[in-house]
Amino acid sequence: MSERDREEFRRHIETCPACADEVPALERLLESADSLGREMKAALTEIDWDSQAEKIVAAVWDGQARPGKEKRFGWTGLFAPRLRPVLAGLVLGILVGAAAMFMAHRRGLLEKPQAEPFFASNEFLGRVDQEIARRDTLDYLEKSQDILLELAQTQTESGECRLTEAAAAETRALLSKKKYLNPQLEEARMLKAKDICDQIELLFTELAQVSEGLTPAQCRGIQDMVEDKNILLKIKLLKKELQESEV
Amino acid sequence: MEEQRITPHEDITALLEKAGEGDRQAFKDIVRLHQQKVFLLAYSILKNREDALDVVQETFMRLYQKIDVYEKGRNFQAWLLQIAKNLSIDYYRKHRGRRRDMEADQRIEDLPLAAADYRSNPESSELGRVLARNLERLGERQRLIFVMKHFNGLEYREIAQVLGISVGTVKSLHFKAVRNLKNWLSPQLGMQI
Repeated sequence: MSERDREEFRRHIETCPACADEVPALERLLESADSLGREMKAALTEIDWDSQAEKIVAAVWDGQARPGKEKRFGWTGLFAPRLRPVLAGLVLGILVGAAAMFMAHRRGLLEKPQAEPFFASNEFLGRVDQEIARRDTLDYLEKSQDILLELAQTQTESGECRLTEAAAAETRALLSKKKYLNPQLEEARMLKAKDICDQIELLFTELAQVSEGLTPAQCRGIQDMVEDKNILLKIKLLKKELQESEV
Repeated sequence: MEEQRITPHEDITALLEKAGEGDRQAFKDIVRLHQQKVFLLAYSILKNREDALDVVQETFMRLYQKIDVYEKGRNFQAWLLQIAKNLSIDYYRKHRGRRRDMEADQRIEDLPLAAADYRSNPESSELGRVLARNLERLGERQRLIFVMKHFNGLEYREIAQVLGISVGTVKSLHFKAVRNLKNWLSPQLGMQI
């Protein structure tokens, strides 16, 4: 206590009989405590502190401890008593999780449901093939029709005719396409369409052989072929028929 | 006492530096200087002489491991007693089951440390014996503070450092400890109930 506190305490004791009665008891208690402390220290003489100090130093110097070599972490530390509740929780969690997985697996909840097999009837597949063939044929006929009309328009008064470069390239592309169209038409049993397409193919084969400029005779021959076989008319009729038969 | 054997001008910082560099004698001096204080603190928690001696050894081993991390200027005694207190509490928890069995038939006044002196001077120690018995009734922090204050002679500030609490809390707990002891020891202190 500070001097000021002591003075204040003294004044209080003088005016307070209850506290005044307690002071001697407290003094006795604290004196007794200090005395007990001294007695305990005196009792320490029972112990040979020199030997004790030597024993401690020996334990330290015998390699049981080294400065700065304090073990920061060890796996055995995981099993320290204070971490046991955490470990118990982890183990419990793993066990519960494993049990839940086992039950779910047993009931088949984890198995990936098998994808339902796609099923299509032969009839449906046939109709699909037919529709694809129809569209491809229509495309083939339209492009063929354009080329033949263009050829007729380019004929001069002297009787010569000439395909543009784009038309010549389209002719070659249609010849290639026809190879893929053939099996489609056969499979879809579109025999009439195949027959007309064959005739166009024959005509384009002739055209492809004379791609540069056609002489009046050659041009006349092509036109005769188109007219004799009514190819443009057949194309028109077939297109109409195919357009109406849309699946 | 032990302190007289230590060269006076060698303060604790110098001893710690030497010990850290491997000076065995310096470390032994540190042990001699502080082992009894460490023992008293450990004993006040464990109440068993052999256990307290084990903790004393363990405390100095720990000190040697941590000697490099000691900050100069820090209160060494408070730091060391803090280590001792933590180790004592760990020791107590580890050996609680064994201690329970041992203490089942043992009374506080029969504990080996104080018993010899009481027997040697029974009249003067009557109040002390009752006080020792009633110390056990105090809560752990109150008892530790009382022991450190009156048996180890530590200042409030040092006790606060050891326990890691404020000086105000130490004073408050010490006051409660004294008040409790006064109430329990009223007849022996000559107070009217």
